[in-house]
Amino acid sequence: MDEDLLKKYWSIVKTELEEFKPGPNEDCNYYPCHFKGQDCAYCYCPFYPCMDERLGKMVHKENSDEEVWSCQDCFWTHRSDVAKLISENFPFSEEPPSDEFRSEIKKKIEEKCSVSAKPLMILGATSGAGKSIIASAFCRIFSDMGYNVAPFKSQNMSLNSMAIADGEIARAQYLQAVAARTEPEVSMNPILLKPQGDDISQVVVNGSVYRNMTVTEYYEDFTLNEGVEIVTNAWEYLRRTKDIVVIEGAGSPAEINLSECELSNMKAAEIAHAPCILVINMIRGGAFAYAYGTIALLSSERRKYIKGIIFNNMCGSADCLEPGIKKLESMLGIPVLGVLPHIEHALPEEDSQDLKSSKDGSEVAIVHLPRISNFTDFDALSLSGVSVKFVRQPDELYSARAIVIPGTKNTFADMAWMKENGFFEVLKELRGKVPILGICGGYQILGKGIYDTEGIEGDVKVAEGLGFLNVSTVFDTTDKKTVQVCGRLENGEEVRGYEIHMGKTESHEKPLITLDDGNPEGAISSDGMVIGTYLHGIFDLPPFRDYFLEKSSISNHEEIDYDAEVDKDLDLMAETLRSNIDMKVIMKILEDGI
Amino acid sequence: MTSLMVQATSSGAGKTTVAAILCKHFTLNGVNTVPFKAQNISLNSFVTPSGGEIGMSQAYQAWACNKEPQTDMNPVLIKPHGPGQSQTVLGGKPFNGTREEIDKYIADAYLRSELDNDLVIIEGSGSPVEINLVDRANMAVADMADAPVILVGDIEYGGVFAGLYGTYSLLSEKHRQRVKAFIINRFRGDMSLLIPGIDKLEKMIGVPCAGVLPHANLLFPSEDSLDFISGRGSEAEGTDIREAWMENLERIYAISQKYLNYPLIESFINE
Ligand code: SF4
Repeated sequence: MDEDLLKKYWSIVKTELEEFKPGPNEDCNYYPCHFKGQDCAYCYCPFYPCMDERLGKMVHKENSDEEVWSCQDCFWTHRSDVAKLISENFPFSEEPPSDEFRSEIKKKIEEKCSVSAKPLMILGATSGAGKSIIASAFCRIFSDMGYNVAPFKSQNMSLNSMAIADGEIARAQYLQAVAARTEPEVSMNPILLKPQGDDISQVVVNGSVYRNMTVTEYYEDFTLNEGVEIVTNAWEYLRRTKDIVVIEGAGSPAEINLSECELSNMKAAEIAHAPCILVINMIRGGAFAYAYGTIALLSSERRKYIKGIIFNNMCGSADCLEPGIKKLESMLGIPVLGVLPHIEHALPEEDSQDLKSSKDGSEVAIVHLPRISNFTDFDALSLSGVSVKFVRQPDELYSARAIVIPGTKNTFADMAWMKENGFFEVLKELRGKVPILGICGGYQILGKGIYDTEGIEGDVKVAEGLGFLNVSTVFDTTDKKTVQVCGRLENGEEVRGYEIHMGKTESHEKPLITLDDGNPEGAISSDGMVIGTYLHGIFDLPPFRDYFLEKSSISNHEEIDYDAEVDKDLDLMAETLRSNIDMKVIMKILEDGI
Repeated sequence: MTSLMVQATSSGAGKTTVAAILCKHFTLNGVNTVPFKAQNISLNSFVTPSGGEIGMSQAYQAWACNKEPQTDMNPVLIKPHGPGQSQTVLGGKPFNGTREEIDKYIADAYLRSELDNDLVIIEGSGSPVEINLVDRANMAVADMADAPVILVGDIEYGGVFAGLYGTYSLLSEKHRQRVKAFIINRFRGDMSLLIPGIDKLEKMIGVPCAGVLPHANLLFPSEDSLDFISGRGSEAEGTDIREAWMENLERIYAISQKYLNYPLIESFINE
C-alpha cells in the first residue's frame, strides 16, 4: 500500500479500535460477508495486507493485471476471540504502526488463537466403545486449557437429535459443544441420518431435512459425491474458526464391506488430515482382538493416521493388562496411550445404540447393584409387557412404577454402595408410594440389619438395613443353600423358584409364601407395599408377576434436572482422562499431525 | 462321542444362543446331545433338580436338548463378587481347593458327558485371545475335547470383521487349525451389503462363513453382563419364562434354517 492509502486505511482502523463494537453487525447490508455469526469489529483488518497465505491470497483485480491481497477467505480476524485480542493489543496511535510491529502482534495473537484448527479424531472399534464421551472429555480438557474448541462428527446416525439455533444436530455433538463451552452449530454435525426402519433413513444436511434415502442409495450415490462436499465445507468452516477440533468417528473404521464409500471415519480423517486415536471397549472382552483386527484391516495408507489406542471401561486394576499391551504395541507399532476405568456417569450414550429404556414412567426400576446377581430373574417381566430399567442413580427411581432391589453377591458391600450413593434416602421417601421388592440380598437389605458373626462376606460384622421389613439376617455359617422350591401365595396361587444364598433371615412379618413343605418363605409388610423373598425366578410364572404389578400404580413424581448432572459428569470424565492419559503425548500428537 | 465348540470374539456375542440352536438342531436330528461349558463366569445361576448350582445358560441349553440340567454340564461356575474376589462353585457346590483339582474335575465331567452322549456342544467363554491371560475356557477346552470350533462375531455394535480377523490372527497356528467356520450374529438390514465383506474375510483367513443370523427381537436368557441386555425381546409370548425361552428358541431355530449352513456344520462332526 502506498503511504497515502495506508494513512487513510489506518484512520478507519483507528476508529474501529477506539469504538470497538464487538459481535456481528446484522444491520450491515453485506452481513455475513465471511460467515454467519462473525465478529464485525474489524471490518477493516489492522493487519492488512498480512501476506499470510494460510489466511488470504493475491488475486488479479478485475479487468487489470494488477494484483491485490484478498481477504475473502479469511475468517480469523472475524473470530470474536481474535477481535477481542486485537482490541487489547493495538495502540490507538495516530500514525500507522510499522509492518514489523503489526506482524509481531499478529504472531502474539496466533499463539492463543490458531489460524488453522488442529484436529484430533477419536475412532472406536465398535459403536458404544465410548468415543463420544471420550471426545466430550477431550473437548472439556482443551477448553480448560484455554483453547477455542469445537466438536465435529461428519455423519451421525442417531434418533437422538437436538434443535439448535440454526437447525438440528445429533445430541452427542450438542453435548460435546457444551463440553467445549461453545455455541452448538450445524457444522459440528453436517450430516445426520435418522433411521426410519431397517433400510431407510431421513438424511438431515446442515441442520435441515434433505430427503429420505435407502441405505444403498446413501452409500452408493450420496456419500462420495454431495456427501464429501458437505463434510469438507463444514470442516473448512470449523478449521478456520477454531483452535482445536475434536472429531468423532462412527461405528468401526474397518467395515471392509463399506470402507470405500464410508464418510464418517477414515474419509473424514483424510479430509481433515486428522491424527486418530482408536478407542476399544473392554467391557465385553476381546479388546486385543478388536484393536489388532481394526488396525490390520485398514489400508497401509490409512493405518498411518492411527497414532494411539485407548482402552476404555476397564473394570478392576489395569496392571494385569500390561503384558498384553506390550505384545499389542510391538505387533502394531502403535502405542497404547492409556487405560480408562469404567466410570459411572449420567451422560447420554452415543449413536443409535441406545439400549437404555425410555423414561416414560411405565417401568420397573431395578437397582443396578455393582455386584448384582441373577438378573435373569427380570427377563420374565417383559412377558407382562413391562419394561425394566437398571438404575445407577437414585433419582431415576422417582419415575418408576415399582422398585426392585435384586440379589447380590455381597450384601454388605452393595448395601454400603446404596448408602453412599443416596439410594437409602430416596427409597425412604418412596416407601409406601410404590411397591418395593427385595430378592435374596435385596430382601436382606430391606430388613433391619445384617450380622456377620463369622466374617463370611468380608470383615464387616454388622450393618443397618432400610428397616422396611421387621426381619434380620445372620451369616453364621458357611453353609450355602441351593434348592428348588414350590409354594403358594396368600391368594393360593402357585409360585416356583430357587434359593441360592448364605445367611438365615428371621422374620416377624407375615410370610409371602407358604412352601409346599409347610414352611413360610419371605415377608410382606402390613401395608403390603414392601415384599422380600429369597426366591430367584419368582417372576417366572404369572401369579407373582400379577400380584406384584397390581400393587403398582402410575406414580407422577417429577423428573430430575438432568442438565445439572451433565456438567458435573463432563468434568469427571475430563479428570478421568487427565489422570490416566499423558496429555503431553496428546498435545504432541496434535502438534505432529499426520 | 464327538464334540463341537462355539467360541466368540467377545462376551455377549451370542455364543449361548448359537450353542442352544445347535443343541436343538442335533437333538431334533436324533443325536443324543448335551451342552458343556467348562468354566462359566456368571452371576446368573440355576439350581439343578439335585440341588447343584450351574450357570443359567447351560440350564437353558439342557432344555434345548430336552434334558434336565445337570452339574456336569457346567462343572465350574465362578461368581465374582468384588474386585478380585469370587466364589468358585465346583460340581454345583462351593469349593475351596487347588487349580489342579478343578482342572481334574473339569476333565472328568467332560469325559462323563462324552461317554453318556453322542455329541457334546461346548460353549467357550469371553474371547479366546486375551493375550494378557492364560486361557482356560476356550482353546484349552477345545484341545481337551479335540473339538472343531465355530467362531461367532456380533455385528450389532459394528466392527465384526475386525473382531473376527483380530481374534483369528491372535490365535496360535495350532489353534487356528481348529477354527472351521465363522458365524455373524444379530445382523439387521440388507444382507447383500454384507456379502463383499464376508467374501473378503473368507479369503483373508481361509475359513468359510457358516451363516449370518439376523437380529431377532426374541427372548433369550440375559447374558452375563447387564451391558448387553439386547436379548430382552418384546415379542415373547406365553406365561412361563422357561416355556417362553424354549418357544423363542424354536422360532430362532426356524429362522436359522434359512440362514445357517447346516450341512457345513454337520460336516465338522462327521470328520
Ligand atoms: S488475510 Fe486476514 S489477517 Fe490477513 S490481512 Fe486479510 S483479514 Fe487481516
